[in-house]
Amino acid sequence: MYPAIIDNYVRPKSVAEAVSALVEGGEDALFIAGGMSLMQAIKSRMVSPSCLVDLQEVSEIKGISANGDSVRIGAMTRYCEIAAASELLGANEALVDAASHVGDRQVRNRGTIGGSLCWNYIAACTPAACLGIGATVELVSAAGGQRTLAVDDFLGSPLETDRADDEIMTAVILPAPSANTGSAYKKWGLVADALPVVGVAVLVRIDQEEVCTHARVAFSGLGDGPCRSAAAEQTLIGAMASDNDSISKALEAAAAELEVQADMWADEAYRKLLIIELGREVAVTAFRRAGVHN
Amino acid sequence: MYKDVTITINGEEYHEHIPVRMLLVDFIRDVAGLTGTHVGCTYEGVCGACTIQVNGEAMKSCLMLAVQADGHKVSTVEGLAQNGKLHPLQEEFNEHHALQCGYCTPGILMNAEEFLKENPSPSEDDIREALIGNLCRCTGYVNIVAAIKSASEKMG
Amino acid sequence: MNEIKTENGWLGRKLKRKEDYRLTTGKGSFIADIQKPGMLHLVFVRSMHAHAKILGIDTSEAESLPGVVAVITGKQLAEEIKLMPQPIVVPNIPAKYPTFGPLAIDKVKFHGEPIAAVVARDKYVAEDAAELVAVDYEPLPYLGDMEAALKPDAPLVHDQYEDNLQYEATLTGGEDLADQEANDAKVASIFEDADLVIKRRYRCHRCGVTPMEPRGVVADWDEAEGLSAWITTQRPHIDRLALSDILDIPAEKVRAVAPRDQGGAFGTKAPFYREPLLVCHMARKLGRPVRWMESREEHLMSVSQERDQIHDLEIAARSDGRILALRDRMIADSGDGCEGVYWGYVMPFLGAVLLPSAYDIPNCDIKLKVPFTNKSALTPARSFGSYPARFAMERAVHTVATELGLEPVEVRRKNLVTEFPYVTATGFNYDSGDFVKVLDNLVEQVDLVGFRAQQSEARKQGRYLGIGFGLGAEASGMASEVLVQMENQPGYGAAMVRVDPKGKIQVSDGDCSQGQGHETTVAQVVAHEFGISPDDVKHRQGDTESTPFGCGTIGARAGSYKLSAVAEACRHIKRKMSRIAAHDFSVSAKPEDFDFIDGEVIYRNDANIRTTFEELSYRIVMTPLNLPEGEEAGLEHTSYFEAAMPMVCFAAHAAIVEVDPVTGQFEIMRYVTSEDMGRVINPQIVDGQITGGVIQGISNCIFEEFVYDETGQQLTSTLENYKIATAADVPNIEVTHAPTPCPYTPLGSRGIAEGVPGPVPGALSNAVTDALEPLGVEINELPLRPNTIWKLIQQSRQAAE
Repeated sequence: MYPAIIDNYVRPKSVAEAVSALVEGGEDALFIAGGMSLMQAIKSRMVSPSCLVDLQEVSEIKGISANGDSVRIGAMTRYCEIAAASELLGANEALVDAASHVGDRQVRNRGTIGGSLCWNYIAACTPAACLGIGATVELVSAAGGQRTLAVDDFLGSPLETDRADDEIMTAVILPAPSANTGSAYKKWGLVADALPVVGVAVLVRIDQEEVCTHARVAFSGLGDGPCRSAAAEQTLIGAMASDNDSISKALEAAAAELEVQADMWADEAYRKLLIIELGREVAVTAFRRAGVHN
Repeated sequence: MYKDVTITINGEEYHEHIPVRMLLVDFIRDVAGLTGTHVGCTYEGVCGACTIQVNGEAMKSCLMLAVQADGHKVSTVEGLAQNGKLHPLQEEFNEHHALQCGYCTPGILMNAEEFLKENPSPSEDDIREALIGNLCRCTGYVNIVAAIKSASEKMG
Repeated sequence: MNEIKTENGWLGRKLKRKEDYRLTTGKGSFIADIQKPGMLHLVFVRSMHAHAKILGIDTSEAESLPGVVAVITGKQLAEEIKLMPQPIVVPNIPAKYPTFGPLAIDKVKFHGEPIAAVVARDKYVAEDAAELVAVDYEPLPYLGDMEAALKPDAPLVHDQYEDNLQYEATLTGGEDLADQEANDAKVASIFEDADLVIKRRYRCHRCGVTPMEPRGVVADWDEAEGLSAWITTQRPHIDRLALSDILDIPAEKVRAVAPRDQGGAFGTKAPFYREPLLVCHMARKLGRPVRWMESREEHLMSVSQERDQIHDLEIAARSDGRILALRDRMIADSGDGCEGVYWGYVMPFLGAVLLPSAYDIPNCDIKLKVPFTNKSALTPARSFGSYPARFAMERAVHTVATELGLEPVEVRRKNLVTEFPYVTATGFNYDSGDFVKVLDNLVEQVDLVGFRAQQSEARKQGRYLGIGFGLGAEASGMASEVLVQMENQPGYGAAMVRVDPKGKIQVSDGDCSQGQGHETTVAQVVAHEFGISPDDVKHRQGDTESTPFGCGTIGARAGSYKLSAVAEACRHIKRKMSRIAAHDFSVSAKPEDFDFIDGEVIYRNDANIRTTFEELSYRIVMTPLNLPEGEEAGLEHTSYFEAAMPMVCFAAHAAIVEVDPVTGQFEIMRYVTSEDMGRVINPQIVDGQITGGVIQGISNCIFEEFVYDETGQQLTSTLENYKIATAADVPNIEVTHAPTPCPYTPLGSRGIAEGVPGPVPGALSNAVTDALEPLGVEINELPLRPNTIWKLIQQSRQAAE
């Protein structure tokens, strides 16, 4: 219910201040972004940080900006801002879909994309949506170094990422939206907007003949955290966009390939069914957003 | 372990020396003595009874530390009525019997007040979706939705 | 909505609630808002295991944490206060009442059982200290299955007994064993000759109606004054007696107070629990106020669990749909059964008694077994034992109909009780009502014929629509003749009404409110009786120091018993006022010759003879000169209302759903209720109660479930996992009425709202079953989840192949 004693709280104003505060805070120091996941962990005493470095005033890592070949989303950008971002429609809309339905509107007023990716909660939507889009993340270290890596390489097992103890995530970078690319994300849970039992993200790119040339298919809600299905992606590539049969085959291939768990919410067979049915719907939407005409 | 904070609640500044770990909801209830904001769950932050506004945006005060609100403006249900005049939401909740035990009500009012600023003409489905973060056990939501719709028309 | 107009116009009309101003402006007075100077905070240490011996508890680190005032364990406590059971909170029913204390002593019996308590000056520090209490356990085998619990080789939940069977009863055939056996044989022979026999196992899951506000206690001790305890309770007067008995404090030195505002209860705040007992004891022991606020996690681990039941139900019927006999073998999972007043099994007991519901089935053989398991005890949940029983009965009636090729509504109609008063085969009295009228109203509202046509068209398009019905006759309040046996307390309603010299009214009663709007409906009744405004009425409840004895806000007692007592007390006072008015005006009149209307008291035979209510009040209280012989000054009366017999209210529900055969997901397209609440006092409040109760029923049916894993770990102790319906998950509810005034209450009102969730699982499950009838799917097990529906569809398809 109540946090354990927290010794220190600092509110840096820049990225450099933030990472140096984290290092100074010692090995039990943690960043806090929106806190929508972290505060649950702190209140349940799953984690007991000695020092909290609050990123709310690091304005250089807030906001969405599009330049020619990419869209940059500051790590401290909130779900509500992403949900309202028209520059993310079409190719990157899976992220809008995901962000619009995280938790509830109170959570969306505070929670951030960076917080979600760095926490990497097993059932979360945002990591899977980023995986589906093929985002990259930017990290800055206390020593001043900067690196980018694909979200595939950033996300580890649940609650683990490649972020080092002295690094801060500064941005999530999405490819610039191209006219013939579309993505979508949808989840199913027992109650509205619940943490997903299964969520599916699909990104597709089509050519002039509406043949799929590029596909990414990612899932949330599965036992080992967000993942992709190579079998689904390969089935989609080369298929006609309007070919519902191929879409079905792709999701069936995913269901066959993926390890799914049984839990309180669904058994294995039902999870696989959701992968197929939900995935089908998401794929059709992604194709539509890519500009397919039927 | 302790920090000096300045938190403005309903327009009044509170300068306090508090533990870093103190939850914002406890600051509001125990330090400022404003008990209209309620606690209904443990650490999951699902029930929404603690919903207040920070800088006009609805947030769950049980999922925040008071230090995170340092320097900010907090609004609670006690500040909704102005100069003795009830907010249209408060009036419509009474008109439509949108509360029974009243435990979830302050959280819903503070969420709805921001929601209507963003969505001045919401549909019933919009309202139901906006209320996902506020559980109610007594009313079954029907009258709450009607009250918010009615308030939106009155404020329109 | 039906509006029943009266002379003064205060009954049967919407009146905006008096409670709302404070509740919408943040000025409610809930338990957590109570502050006492120097208040200490108590936190429980709870068991990590479902079943384990306690080898030792080390409290030394906790005790030495700065700010900690006391730490106490079960062994220490057992030397300081009496253990349960104590007579005051034990029903007059033969059953096993296990020995237990507020803190576990030698072993723990469920995941979350309290083991120790820490008291500190700061609530955060109390939690720090609780973490430092080290408990050494020796795990024991976990017993989590109620059928396994009945087997001879099952681990014993309570070592003081030789088996786990807490309660066993035959609810039919009378008290005598020979009579019961004769009845069983008669029922058996009816089954043998019947045109149709159906037999199904129905299973309802463990769920309940956890309110938004968990429990809490603030206890204060004064050497001279005694104990004052603010408790989230539905029955302060019962708590007072129990605290007095168990803590050995003379009753006049115990004050129990239900806070003016409580955040819902729905039964969870009705039992007498471990925690208030300990908190009060610690206040006395430490001589300082002690406060305990339950966390949601504690709440979900230790209370709110109900409904967990198996019915092996058989119905014998004639080919025209007339039900001839019913046989049911019920098993309910009591958990550890350790709670005062209800002891886990009382809910299934009442569910078994009400099993025949609104149907006329004279020949029943109903047997119930309630074993202990390593779970938290069953605690009352709205519908009190009837939720699973209704599910079983309504599904069975539906199946009888489909097997016979009849409309399920027609089978229901054919078997409804029509003659009143009626006594069920289980001995429960229904006083009055017109069940057929209620059902017919419902059928008209849903346009059954139109729906069947729509359904048929939809099937041709491969869409699966279905309609399902559920109904329930529920107790309208609980008469003393039921409650004395079942809960060792009376069932009357009691209210004190006082008219002050200004003609303003004070009403007090010993029950309390958790959202039902009593302040408003009481004011309406008083305004109606005295011809004044509800604004002139002030209502207080819940403080044992200043209210007449009340057995609590349970079982729909307000509309049936409390408001009846209020009306009777008003009428007693009116008769006195009339007598004195007649005397003052020198007319030879009977009390009923005076009308109390629009603030005046007017002689019916001569309108010139009149005075105002205020003047007459002033005259009687402030200037009591020249009163009629034998008449006292003052205008105050306490009435104790007991109805001539136990009363009933009745509801029928219908759900229309569409099921997606591919995913098993379904949508509720319409949900319609038809109710007999007798004469309605405030239709807006009544409709609110019904809507809220239906949504609880839907949420229970589909989303909520208490889950224990194979080692007894409770997996659903947060609202993330114990999923309650949000506004986006549930439909609008259409509430309609087909009332018959109750002849046994002064206002013709009935109590409502207890039983509302009861018909819901039947209505929803029948609707899904009806929708999937072409696929041969039967929903006989809850929760009603898409996964389950999908699996049944697959199984059905495979069987067909």
